Amino acid sequence: MNNERCERRTHRYQEAEDRPAPVPGAAEAKEDGRPVLKLRGRHYGADTMLVMAIVNRTRDSFYDRGATWDEERAMERVRTVVAQGADIVDIGGVKAGPGEEVDAEEEKRRVVDFVAAVRAEFPDLVISVDTWRASVGRAVCEAGADLLNDAWGGYDPGLAQVAAEFDAALVCTHTGGLAPRTPPYRPHYQDVVRDAVEATVAQAERAVSLGVDPASAIIDPAHDFGKNTWHSLELTRRLDEMTGTGRPVLVSLSNKDFVGETLDLPVGERLTGTLAATAVCAWHGAHIYRVHQVRETRQVLDMVASIRGVRPPARVVRGLE
Amino acid sequence: MIVAAALCPHPPLLLRELSGGQDVAADLRRACESALEALLASSPDTLVVIGGHDTSEGHTGTLVPVREYGGTGERTLRERPLPLSLGVARRLLDSVGHHGHVEMATVAWDASEAEVAAWGRRIADRPERVALLVLGDGSARRGTTAPGHLDRRSFAFDEETRRCLAEGDREGLMRMDPDLAADLMVTGRAAFGVMAHALAERGPTRPRVLYADDPFGVMYFVAVWPCDC
Repeated sequence: MNNERCERRTHRYQEAEDRPAPVPGAAEAKEDGRPVLKLRGRHYGADTMLVMAIVNRTRDSFYDRGATWDEERAMERVRTVVAQGADIVDIGGVKAGPGEEVDAEEEKRRVVDFVAAVRAEFPDLVISVDTWRASVGRAVCEAGADLLNDAWGGYDPGLAQVAAEFDAALVCTHTGGLAPRTPPYRPHYQDVVRDAVEATVAQAERAVSLGVDPASAIIDPAHDFGKNTWHSLELTRRLDEMTGTGRPVLVSLSNKDFVGETLDLPVGERLTGTLAATAVCAWHGAHIYRVHQVRETRQVLDMVASIRGVRPPARVVRGLE
Repeated sequence: MIVAAALCPHPPLLLRELSGGQDVAADLRRACESALEALLASSPDTLVVIGGHDTSEGHTGTLVPVREYGGTGERTLRERPLPLSLGVARRLLDSVGHHGHVEMATVAWDASEAEVAAWGRRIADRPERVALLVLGDGSARRGTTAPGHLDRRSFAFDEETRRCLAEGDREGLMRMDPDLAADLMVTGRAAFGVMAHALAERGPTRPRVLYADDPFGVMYFVAVWPCDC
């Protein structure tokens, strides 16, 4: 998304004066003059809902299985998702789950030049990089990344320092204490939502203490990371407790196993379930949605925003003729 | 005097409500119930239950830890739930209608050989007729979709465990390499050792393995060791 569109969207939200009573969860995340979310120079209000498109520079990620491993294919994917209305691209060089070993040097080979190429072609696009390594984070920030998506919950404590140095945003995730790329084995929580809130807020507070802007310290309950399907469903149901912290919230739901197990469907047939979960998170006021399918997600977010009363319908004539 | 021992696994999905609409562990649960029935047929005065856990300690609660692993609705905060292994044991005992005297304790996954041996001896030395139920699992690294992904060493390791259980080979179970067991996510190593030590003097007469399979990438064993008494 370019700055002009960003401003237009924010402005449009602010114009919706006749909005109904605040929805659950959005109540405590009201705008008080300060941006709720800031992505290196771009400011967003509390009602913002941004689409973050996944762009994998991997051979083995669970959904696309290497479809954008080739750099030109990955760039095509960026062009496509931008045309479809993605606000952010999230570039990853390492599959989340166990698989091919990718060391820091190989991860850099996969993502750093690519970030630079995306930055060159899309000067105003928000670029995120999915990495847990501080050394990779530094290299991609130098190449133009705006956001570091640390999917492994601060495993490398140096990553927050890098975000602070570059005025980049940082995603602080809840993994239940797992090491990177570890699947959960019988995870259990006295209260998974409380655990997620406490862990992510603690990471965000640490990042802020290191110099990350509070509006750039994003929290993510990390569905399915260190969690079973029940846990991910409960996090979705009670996402208002995360948005209620007042911090910007990212959710990553797209085609995940909790959707697959809930509906007993394989990876390729989880879009409808993903969009249902997306709608619930949108109702609870999450700000960023990390997805494979941009167009469908954007429609759901716009629809929920209008139901919440924070986005006017695109065109209303019926009954008003 | 130990009169019989049995071994069961303790995946959360043995708690029926946790696997949702489908009962994915029906066969495994039936095998566990058969093992318990065989164990209780030895008419023990006391049933001692030893389950693997993060720490070693006694437990007197009865609450099965369903809500920590899933489900919906309120949590029971009045009572501390049992650790998973003991909770699964409690549920299995309820399902076979056992309401006799039960003593429950956990043994840490990483308990030392000396600690494991001491646990076993304490059970063996009791004067009354004691039946021992042990809960522990084999490797969780038996496939690319297993919780611990694939480590091919798990196959030989688990096969040796199965052989020991089938043959009543206590020394074989005592010989398990703790470091390799930890690498392979064999959370039952210490619990298996307690069973072996408890029957060190008084070996099983007709050891039987009722179940040995890995439907979800984790090796589950169900075994019964009756003693000649």
